[in-house]
Amino acid sequence: MENGYLNTEAGPLKINAAGEVSTKKARARKKAGLNKDAVMTVLYPVLFGILVLVLWQTQVLHKILGTDTFTLPLPGRIINIIFENVPAILKNVQATVIVAVGGLLLGSVLGYFLGIVAMAFPKWGSGGISIASAFTAVPIVAIAPILNNLTKDLSDDPHIRSMLAKTLVVMITCTVSMSINAYRGFTELKPFSLDLMKSYAASKTTIFLKLRVPNSLPYIFTALRVSVPASIISALVSEYFAEFIIGVGRQIRESIVLAQYATAWAYILVACAIGILMYAILLIAEGVILKGRRHR
Amino acid sequence: MKKRIAKLLAVIMIIAMVSTSLAACGKSADTPASTPAASTPGSTGKYYDKSTSAESIVKDAASKGKVGNWGLGNEYEVQALLAKYGQPITFLSQAFDMDGFDNDTILLASAMTYNELGLVKNSYEGGYKYGDKVGIIDMNDEGVAMLEDNIFCTREFAEKNPNTVKAFLYASMKGWEDACNNPEEAAKIVFEYGSSVSSEHQAYMASEVKKLVETDTSGASVKDYGNMDDKALQQTLDLAKKYIQLSDPAAASKLQSMTLDDIRDVSYLKEAMASGGKFGDLEKTSVSIQLKWLPQAQFMGYYVALKKGYYKDVGLDVTIIPGGGDIGETTAVYTGQVDFGVTWVSNLIAANAGGMDLLEIAQVYQRSGLVLVYKLN
Amino acid sequence: MNRVKKVLSSKQIVTLVWVIGLIIVWEIGATVIAQTKRTPEYVLPHISQIVDSVFSDKLVNGSQTATQIVLSNAALTLVRAGIGFIIGSIIGFILALLMNMFLPVEKIAFPYLMMIQMIPILGMAPIILAITKDIDKSRIVIAAILTFYPVATNTLAGFKAVEKAKHELMYSIAAKKKDIYKKLLIPASLPYFFTGLKISAPMAITASILVDTLQGGGGLGCMLSQSLKHAMSIYVFWQIVFFSAIIGILSFYLMSVIEKLVSPYKKVRR
Repeated sequence: MENGYLNTEAGPLKINAAGEVSTKKARARKKAGLNKDAVMTVLYPVLFGILVLVLWQTQVLHKILGTDTFTLPLPGRIINIIFENVPAILKNVQATVIVAVGGLLLGSVLGYFLGIVAMAFPKWGSGGISIASAFTAVPIVAIAPILNNLTKDLSDDPHIRSMLAKTLVVMITCTVSMSINAYRGFTELKPFSLDLMKSYAASKTTIFLKLRVPNSLPYIFTALRVSVPASIISALVSEYFAEFIIGVGRQIRESIVLAQYATAWAYILVACAIGILMYAILLIAEGVILKGRRHR
Repeated sequence: MKKRIAKLLAVIMIIAMVSTSLAACGKSADTPASTPAASTPGSTGKYYDKSTSAESIVKDAASKGKVGNWGLGNEYEVQALLAKYGQPITFLSQAFDMDGFDNDTILLASAMTYNELGLVKNSYEGGYKYGDKVGIIDMNDEGVAMLEDNIFCTREFAEKNPNTVKAFLYASMKGWEDACNNPEEAAKIVFEYGSSVSSEHQAYMASEVKKLVETDTSGASVKDYGNMDDKALQQTLDLAKKYIQLSDPAAASKLQSMTLDDIRDVSYLKEAMASGGKFGDLEKTSVSIQLKWLPQAQFMGYYVALKKGYYKDVGLDVTIIPGGGDIGETTAVYTGQVDFGVTWVSNLIAANAGGMDLLEIAQVYQRSGLVLVYKLN
Repeated sequence: MNRVKKVLSSKQIVTLVWVIGLIIVWEIGATVIAQTKRTPEYVLPHISQIVDSVFSDKLVNGSQTATQIVLSNAALTLVRAGIGFIIGSIIGFILALLMNMFLPVEKIAFPYLMMIQMIPILGMAPIILAITKDIDKSRIVIAAILTFYPVATNTLAGFKAVEKAKHELMYSIAAKKKDIYKKLLIPASLPYFFTGLKISAPMAITASILVDTLQGGGGLGCMLSQSLKHAMSIYVFWQIVFFSAIIGILSFYLMSVIEKLVSPYKKVRR
């Protein structure tokens, strides 16, 4: 997992003869200092966080930023609001998480499937993928209302249909990065590996299952690293426009419009926590699944 | 060649899949139209009769969960009405169009007399052409009216720049008086200032806004523009205390202890109107006002004052900033980005409860412009 | 036959076929919608209707046609996006440099960079507004914040991707730290830096449009939300959707062109 987060979009590092040797050495070195490294990874940000919190609570931060305790309420007050409203917050968190995770799963599966289709017809597929990447340039604020209108007839229950609309928005944002990365995972194979498989007279299905799918695994995680934070953000934004009033994002908006900044901050904190938690789960899953695979 | 055919098949399949799913969306549109409003007590069709009382309409729509409002601080009057008739105070989030009302997802929809109601009734561009086939429930008649568009600034700004505030009020009220006397001309002026609403709708809006500015909640006519009527304001504050739900315990308790003196100051308007247009040295000559919504005849008084030079006459250089975004007018005024703002009294109350110190200096709309609209059989 | 094949397999044709395919799917959808909805233009209008609105000379507000509104507001938004993007990429690059030089900086900054990305813009906006006291400045700042993350992470990845062997070579010739950065690390990280730019350029535009919606004034986002709130012809909305997509793609290619112009290396990746 070391340095794994660095490849957000550049893709897993290229593996060549020299690189392989050097990374092995690096790993050996890292193992010896692993404990110290791990401690630093946790300790530094935590210390920094405590420093910021102290500055914040003592209002030094307000002086630096030139703002006041109304726009940037004190941490104590924010925490208090969270504790006072646990049931309401949980209800909103639940709605947001269902949308974010549901959209993420649907989008990723669809994206992976599109990656397979694109691989099967490379000439047309790669063109399609570059078109698909154009969709990312359309802002979510534009997609959300369109989908709201399109899903009006799907259910009589506004709660269900607005859930559907929100999930679709998240799905769209997650599909693109997965399809691009899956396609690359299927096609950017190790040099000569394809020739080797062919020399065994392996069938296309065998090549796909034994070579391409395993090869695509790290790329799946590359895609997820982009789409997990994106899924949260688009879930929050799609809630702004949804028909049924629920969700962490919607509460942030309502609070800001009504000038309840302390409440808005409480929900912002909750949104951050959801994001960090989902990202942590992703990193752990990646660590477990890709153990010993990366830099093979 | 085989490959080519396979590709072709795949493409056709995808197109077929997408189109059937789209077609499915489309088809299901026909079905819900037949289901809604399975007859009201004593009703002869799927909507409401002219003779049906407001109470039974509200009860029926609420029991079906089909009462709509935009939320975001616009919902308190509707909630008060629902509570008045013993209904749960939940509502559907209404979009900024009347499509939901049109396709029956909302039976009892919120509408401003000067905007959405016009779109529902009239047949100009963007209109839904219902004409007289709709009925309304008026918040003023139901006794749950809350006051809307006002002029406000921060208490600090008012105390530091009293002459500027008075000059601004004087010129603005002159603009409102002029606009109400010539609503058609006012509509034209607003349209020229970059309103994107069609000019016909603008004219309709101006005539309706005139009624709100010159009539109070009981229907009596008001001639002193901007008057802050204590009774109406107190009713607004009382309803606000009941229906503004704040999660922040500090803000909630501040809301409950609020009095009229925390939200308005009548002295500036009084002195402004008594001054006869002379204000001594202005502390600040270049000021801005943030509207609550997009440029439209809802705010015609300011545009008229700008166009006819009333602001210039008192020595002010005024910039009008349209609203409509998520950073509300209260925040814009509070951060000092603009000097004056137009907001609803309930929004000002919520903002002050949250910790702002805003001050209403004039009440432009004398009665509530919010109605609930329903279709007639 | 061969020539036909060649033409057919060229990249432009592939793209063209895809675009035509998408148009067909869109039109099928639009036809279905047109038959079942009262106001189909709000859900899915025909493409021809949108194209018509581009060339129509009907005024949609006091003085401008739909296209004029889109273009004049696009200028505002793109300028803000551009300034935010430049500031964001400079900060991103410097931060990556610092993170690579000092391990504690990397350890501290990384989790917080992630967190900043998680804060919804709407939450950030009032605070930034309170600090800058000017909506246009805060729009630029927000565009910068949202774009510097991809640049920072990708550039850092570029620094890290330099093979140990090359590092060791530099050490063996006793190169100074400054020289290592100048001669080895910075050139080697350039492709990654540009990958970051290519991701963040469309993001800067998207962010800029999103931030426009926060308050009135001018900009594509304002017009988008006005149009959605039925205060303006709905075709302004559809034009903006297409316009933003096209500009997003163009910004991506613009970065590729700049990369080709400035890069001292031969493009070998992919």
